[in-house]
Amino acid sequence: MSALPGPAAGEAPPRDTTRPLAFLPAARGVFGLALEGMVWSRRSLLMAVLLGLPVVFALLYRGFLVAKVPARVTGLDLYAIIVAVYYVRNVLPLAALFYATSLIADEVEGRTLTYLLTRPLPRPAILAGKFAAYLGTTLALTLPALVATFLLLATARGFAGIGTAVPELFRDMGVVALALASYGALFTLLGVVLRRPVIPGLLFLFVWELVVHIPGYLPRLTLTGWLGSLVHHQPAEEGLAGLFQRQVLPVGEGLVVLLAASALFLALSVWVFSRREYVMEQ
Amino acid sequence: MTAPLEYARASRWYGPVIALNDVSVAVPPGVTGLLGPNGAGKSTFLKLAAGLLAPSQGEVRLLGRPAWGSPEAFHRVGLCPEVDAFWEHLTGLEFLTALLRLTGFGEKECRERAENALHQVALHDAKDRKVGGYSKGMRQRVKLAQSIAHDPDVLLLDEPVSGMDPVNRRRVIDLVKKMGREGKTVVVSSHILHEVEAMTRRVLLIHNGRILAEGDVREIRDLMDEHPHTVSLRARDPRHLARAVVASPHVLSLSFGADGEWLTVQTARPDEFYSALPEAAVEAGVTEMYSPDEDLESVFRYLVAR
Amino acid sequence: MPIYDQSYRRYEARGGLRQARFWPITREALRIVLAKRLFLVLLLASWLPLVVRMVQVYAVARFPEAGRLLPVDGRLFGEFLNQQILFTVFLSVFGGAGLVANDLRTGAILVYLSRPLTRRDYVLGKLGVLLSLNLSVTLVPGLLLYLVALALVPGQFAEWKLLWIGPAIVLHAFVIALSVSLLVLAVSALSRSARVAGLGFVGLFIGLEIVRGVLVTMADRPEAHVLSLLNNLRMVGNLLFGIAARGAAVPAALPPIVLALGALACLAVLRARVRAVEIVK
Repeated sequence: MSALPGPAAGEAPPRDTTRPLAFLPAARGVFGLALEGMVWSRRSLLMAVLLGLPVVFALLYRGFLVAKVPARVTGLDLYAIIVAVYYVRNVLPLAALFYATSLIADEVEGRTLTYLLTRPLPRPAILAGKFAAYLGTTLALTLPALVATFLLLATARGFAGIGTAVPELFRDMGVVALALASYGALFTLLGVVLRRPVIPGLLFLFVWELVVHIPGYLPRLTLTGWLGSLVHHQPAEEGLAGLFQRQVLPVGEGLVVLLAASALFLALSVWVFSRREYVMEQ
Repeated sequence: MTAPLEYARASRWYGPVIALNDVSVAVPPGVTGLLGPNGAGKSTFLKLAAGLLAPSQGEVRLLGRPAWGSPEAFHRVGLCPEVDAFWEHLTGLEFLTALLRLTGFGEKECRERAENALHQVALHDAKDRKVGGYSKGMRQRVKLAQSIAHDPDVLLLDEPVSGMDPVNRRRVIDLVKKMGREGKTVVVSSHILHEVEAMTRRVLLIHNGRILAEGDVREIRDLMDEHPHTVSLRARDPRHLARAVVASPHVLSLSFGADGEWLTVQTARPDEFYSALPEAAVEAGVTEMYSPDEDLESVFRYLVAR
Repeated sequence: MPIYDQSYRRYEARGGLRQARFWPITREALRIVLAKRLFLVLLLASWLPLVVRMVQVYAVARFPEAGRLLPVDGRLFGEFLNQQILFTVFLSVFGGAGLVANDLRTGAILVYLSRPLTRRDYVLGKLGVLLSLNLSVTLVPGLLLYLVALALVPGQFAEWKLLWIGPAIVLHAFVIALSVSLLVLAVSALSRSARVAGLGFVGLFIGLEIVRGVLVTMADRPEAHVLSLLNNLRMVGNLLFGIAARGAAVPAALPPIVLALGALACLAVLRARVRAVEIVK
């Protein structure tokens, strides 16, 4: 192959070919590649619809008010239900399951992991870049919808009292980020360890997480228990679930537990991924 | 000085199946053909070299360090995998620049190198088309392009010309030979013997996970002295030729072709036979000569059957 | 002539298309799915509610006073089948999410359609797999429960006026199986990855139910109730078995119409996506 021109002025310095790329530039490179694949995909279209639907709910609510259809809840109550029930308990965990189990599995299934593993990239950076892309994508889809929903619902009957509600919005944005991070980290681990992570992920979400309704210590072993306690607004449960009201766990402890759990799951994921052999056959 | 790629008693098994069995080989700079039938262990050999698998036993060293767990080696190593897999939504140029970015090049240099590599594989005109819309041959070429774009010192090519038309196959063969002349270490894996023969005379023959032989094809052939060498000659007077050669003690058998023009000789000493041939060939009016045993296939068949 | 001509001879017989052309597709796919141990565990777990219901029937048969707490009448079967809907979701995700997606990824549809098979046969074959799986956890245990009820509590069920229960079980089971199966197949046809298709189906199924919940909380209108596939199927069951529904009164014809429209939409997706060749722009 003919000699290529060296780097011009202002370009990156010559590469150090005795070491792999540094963690941050490596993760950034993988992040860019993964983000492009994630954002312009059919799967993200479905997620965008699911995560952005509360804006439609808010617009519908405003429409009901204009049409003088009797509403069963106030705007802020509806916002509380959307945050606590729609996002934190249901859609965010599903979004995490959707994306995070596929971070490495997609590359294995598509047999493109070989290209990443044959670049001078530390393996932890590959996983970190992909996780960052997942977090970036989901936050980009969720947070604007959350803010728009809040603004539409909090101002449904005028701007009175909105000032006291705004801190709730910032708190909820933090909870959303923490939910995506913690569920994402757990499902990343499932995706790296198991060949078929979807069913165990679904069983975790729709069977194990139900123990949050059981009194005692078990709710502390669920993610939904801690996240639910961080959300300020707790709508009353209806039906059978109303017989088993959730415990409210300490907020400070919840923050620490969720951050630590996210870090632990990610660290385990990195550890497993760094040691695993991937054999991709034609 | 250590060879760029070394196997020291390397073995690899998948459960109870041994894919590579006690392989010790040093691959020098230049082009080396890795030959074997399907299931022989070629892919495992290359995956061990590329650090995608760890040896179950023994050691595999790439550029002086263990192949497994040394991502820094990939600054100087390129792999063209056999699997047909891409991020289909990217164009050819985007595919290459993304991978070059991951190799640590700056933005401008990524683009320059990507365009250069696409030129080398005659894909420059299609660089802005999505890889998902490429034909099989184009996909194979873009795969090759990503393996050479960062100008590696070691190139591992797994079936590089699979699916290519004759023109592009020739182009790739010439490219591989050129890289070998430049002192790069190129390992080309294939089960199509004449393709490898066109690229190099240095081969590693592998079968059932073991190395059968390594070195120059001719040298390997010469060492197989208990296997008679067959030479076929077309002559004006084959019987005259037969009379001339039959007296030699190393001629084992003679047979005539059905058309009466060909004489097939089996000899235990091909070099001595060739030395003695010219005089007899002129007298008998030899117009054509070939030896089916000069080619790789016969060498391989013989070694496998041993 | 003592030596017969062994060269190629043209096959002169006329062969039409076989009748049940889809059957080999269904049979082979079922064989692959049923060979997986995890799937068999799921199947067994799906039959556990049947055991619970049988115990309920036995308890009422043994202790008639128990019937006041755990009524055993026509509604029992509707409630049982409504419960089984979630199991059909699990089974469909496990056994059906990759049915079309894997073929799209590997290009196997071209292989299928290069046989004397039409696209309709292909879709029927794949649908047959899902229908078999879903009916095995709805129709089969539903009918078994009915037989058990007839045997243990004949005084209650062996009456002319309750003869509708059998056909109602069959109808509701088929409505559930067909609706879930078509949706899974359509989602599978929209992806090249079984995993993404499975997650997409779950996301859609649960997402619509969550949307229904939020809209009902906002204003309990009949239109909100028909948004969710799960709720539509439950409402059909309530209608067939006379179970009182909660919330706003939904016109009886609306859930079946919505289900039918959904089925047509799924068929349209399958028609668009099941092709031998995909043009990449």
